[in-house]
This record gives sequence, C-alpha cells and structure tokens, in this order.
Amino acid sequence: MNILSIDTSAQVASVCILDETGILSEFNVNVKLTHSQTLMPMCEAALDCAKISLEQIGAFAVSAGPGSFTGVRIGVSAVKGLAASSGKPCIPVSTLEGLAYNLQPESGILCAAMDARCAQVYNALFRWEDGSLRRLCEDRAVSIEALGKELEQFGENIFLVGDGADLCFNKLKEALPSLERVPPHLRFQRAASVGLAALERAKAGKTCTAAELMPVYLRLPQAERELLKKQQK
Amino acid sequence: MVYETHSPVETEALATSLAAALSPGAVIAFSGGLGAGKTAFTRGLAKGLNAAGEVSSPTFALVHEYRGEPPLIHFDMYRISSLDDLYTTGYFDYLDGGNILAIEWSEKIADALPEDAIRIFIETTGETSRRITIEGGPDFEYPLH
Repeated sequence: MNILSIDTSAQVASVCILDETGILSEFNVNVKLTHSQTLMPMCEAALDCAKISLEQIGAFAVSAGPGSFTGVRIGVSAVKGLAASSGKPCIPVSTLEGLAYNLQPESGILCAAMDARCAQVYNALFRWEDGSLRRLCEDRAVSIEALGKELEQFGENIFLVGDGADLCFNKLKEALPSLERVPPHLRFQRAASVGLAALERAKAGKTCTAAELMPVYLRLPQAERELLKKQQK
Repeated sequence: MVYETHSPVETEALATSLAAALSPGAVIAFSGGLGAGKTAFTRGLAKGLNAAGEVSSPTFALVHEYRGEPPLIHFDMYRISSLDDLYTTGYFDYLDGGNILAIEWSEKIADALPEDAIRIFIETTGETSRRITIEGGPDFEYPLH
C-alpha cells in the first residue's frame, strides 16, 4: 500500500511517499514557518517524482502532535482534506514516535524531546528491540529538570532526538554523562519516519477516518500553566 | 528614549520612523491604558513596513496579521491568562516566523516575552498629546523630535 505522509509539526515541512518496500520520494524544507504555502506543492512534487498518482495512495499519514500549534493544525487539516476527498483512511502518528523512527540504535534509550518553551519539553522514551520499537512511556510535557531525574535510572546510552535535544543536552550533560545528541540529519522531524511508523500502525489496523482525525495537544504541567496567573496577582 | 507627541498623526509618524529600523523577529511590547494610542502607534508601524490593510484593535480576534515586509502581527493579550491560552493564539509560531510582533497588554504574558523585546509605555499628557517611552530596540531617526 502506498502511503503519503506529512510532518509539519515544527519548523521542518516534510512530505514522503512510501510503501512496504521502502521510501519512494521525500522532500524536506527547513525554513521559517511557511508550511501553508509549501506543503501542497511539496505533496505534488513528491507524487510526481515517485510516479504515483493521488488515486494510488492507500492511506494518508500525519504527525498529529505534539508540536507547534499552527504547524500541527496545518498538517492535520491537509491530511483530513486529502483523505476526506478520496475516502481513504488516515493514520495519525505521535510526533515523538515519528522522531524515534529516525534511527535504530542497537542498544540504548531513544529520548525524543521537542522544545515546549519555558524549560519544558514534549517527551517520550523508546527502545528498539529486534527491529521493533518499544515505547517506554506515554507522550507528555515535562520540565527538563524532571526528565533529567527520570533518565538517571538508565545505566546505558541515551540518544537525544528532536529540536529539544540541545536544550536537554546543555542542561543535563553534567548529571548524565551517557547523554548524546544524534547528528543533525537524524535529529528533526521527517515524513519518512512518520511514514515508517504509519506502516506499522496500518499493519495493526490502527487507522481512522478523516472525520476522526484530530490534532493532539499536550497540556503543560499544571504548575507551569498557572505561572502567568500568579505573576499577575 | 522619551518622545512627546501632540496628535495621533505624530504618534503614527514616530512609529513609522521606528518601523524602518526594525529587523524581522522584533517584538514590541506595549503597556498603557485604554485610548492611550497603541493602535495609532501600530498603524504607524504598519505604514513603515508597507503592510496592507486597515489597522484596528485586535481585542476581539486576539491577533491581526498584516502582510508587510516583514509581516506585522498585532496581538491583544488582555484575555490571555495561561500558557495554554497563549499557545493556542499561535504566538510562539509567529515569534519564530520572522515577523514583527506588536503586543498590546504585554504585561499579561510577561514571562513569555523575549528578553530583547522593545518596551513601549504610552502616557496620556493631554487630550491629544502623549508621552511615549521606548526602551530597547534599534536607534532610529525621528525628524519631528
């Protein structure tokens, strides 16, 4: 089955066409947020280059969040529209899980971290085991400090992936010598990774209709959310 | 710097002069009460950035976007009371997007303003005259001063 996957959850806009045999075409653009202008031309180009017509796409995958408020809405709306008009299913993928598909270390923990502002990250932890991804916790918004404490339990390499990697590394490297950042070409959101995660979901029957597809926003921890209010008093 | 203006037209002109010196990513944070001239000031910014459209107060919509070079994003934060609220205005996306932001009631999001935000205080000194204090930001020429 051909899948068209999209990630616009942060600064990168990315589109990929893939099937069970591999990645057919992928475009990545990493400039200031201009997703609403670049996304559709990128979809067309990715289809053209892969010599696949829109009718041949069996499902539309998207990183449905967490991420930038506007970015997530652009990606989800685009996929909703494409799926609704063609009657094909959608496959929502956690942005953090997508990031975990960027690389498959043989051992160690993958720590996906996206900058959520105010010294917090959107985070989830994963481990690759015999070629399949095991999730160690749910997606959450967490302070970098709390994440550091939690990571102390792991006596193995921890690979930081995502646009919060630098933030976490700089703040936690002293306490966590086993912390590493993955190289830049593997660090950010890629539609190919979203597509690979989507293939697994499709195999497990985890698809939804265009109407059911929703953006996923993680709420910041209560204490942090109230911060502004307290300051105003 | 402190400037005295004597009419909305002069307030606009001051803002137009400032706009010419701004770089993409600049954040202008207003404090000041109702009717102080924040909208007039923003109108001047829009003019200076060649931004299209009639500038009006974004009180109802929370944010107005004017297509200038760079785009001017005009916020009213009066009703914003939490980080979640702020997130759903797209504030952080606009902040990263190479725009110029003009923010009314910026004191409501004090924690989320960039450190290098340009602070503008407008005081009413007469029926049409204002004292405008600009803290931070680039040097600029203001011919009427």
